[in-house]
Amino acid sequence: MNSVHFTSGMGEHAAVITRVAERQWHAVEDDRTVGRGYASRRPDGRTFLSIDAWHGAVFDQLADAMLADLPTPLYTVVDEADLDLTSHWERVGFTTRRREWEYLVPTDPRVTGLGSVLPPSGVTIVAVGEAEESPLRTLDRVVRDEVEATVGWQEMPAEVLPRPDGDTLVDPSKYAVAAQSGEYVGLIRVVRVTRQPRIGLIAVRRDRHRRGIARALLAHVLGSLHRCGIATASAEVTESNGAAMALFEGVGARRASSNLEFVLR
Amino acid sequence: MTRTAGGIEVEGTVIECLRNATFKVELENGHKVLAHISGKIRKNYIKILPYDRVLVELSPYDLTRGRILFRYRT
Repeated sequence: MNSVHFTSGMGEHAAVITRVAERQWHAVEDDRTVGRGYASRRPDGRTFLSIDAWHGAVFDQLADAMLADLPTPLYTVVDEADLDLTSHWERVGFTTRRREWEYLVPTDPRVTGLGSVLPPSGVTIVAVGEAEESPLRTLDRVVRDEVEATVGWQEMPAEVLPRPDGDTLVDPSKYAVAAQSGEYVGLIRVVRVTRQPRIGLIAVRRDRHRRGIARALLAHVLGSLHRCGIATASAEVTESNGAAMALFEGVGARRASSNLEFVLR
Repeated sequence: MTRTAGGIEVEGTVIECLRNATFKVELENGHKVLAHISGKIRKNYIKILPYDRVLVELSPYDLTRGRILFRYRT
């Protein structure tokens, strides 16, 4: 695929924009690639764009070409602190759909106040990596159904990976769970790819809410990380999720940054 | 150091996370650059932290500026 968008009258930075692949555009100026645009399709069916350009004019040219080639709605993610990039996307018509806070979560029980937190009566915590896959998958399905978090869940697309049969991936090595009466009732997902682990998901069955299960799961995981010498974990929370924000802020988590999900309808 | 159609790519180490979504990166040759993260890294929620080893593409217009293309697992 090599559709070419000729540009002119852009002043100092007049690039030639070429769609070099189905989901990739290049901006070339004086035989040099000075910008790249990518489109990717998420499991929920939405198309997300990204543009890397050294100049605003080249960004605009790439955006014009991509928007001309792709059907709306289109989405992108920006760090809210990146004012230049945010204004570039706003200039081409994107508006904020939602905000997601990134929290830094302390692990030290003296800071979190979770040192003495125990699971509610009758509930036991199964440590990370020790959960059985089948009941974990069952719980995962239940909690996702409760919040309509299927593969089309748009509030946490990074966590909803596709499978051919439409189910989601569940890797027990990344989960601790709360068990009660022989079934799993709550889960927490922790990923340790880098030095700073990421808490990707905390969920409790709706019929077991308001009993302290999520707090007990968090206490268990943060305590384990602390004993491993890890001082902080990260977690992203959608701003509209007041319960999750209250849970994290209640253990001393602080907001470190925010991402905006933009949409062009 | 690698020269590509897009510019020069150099490995470096993140030495500071700055407030405006930029990072100070020390390159293998000792030079320090200010770098943003690439759109792909942002879309994939990849976090950049101090001491991370990264691959940086230098701006063809200003060799003190760059873009973080890749974070190596450490």
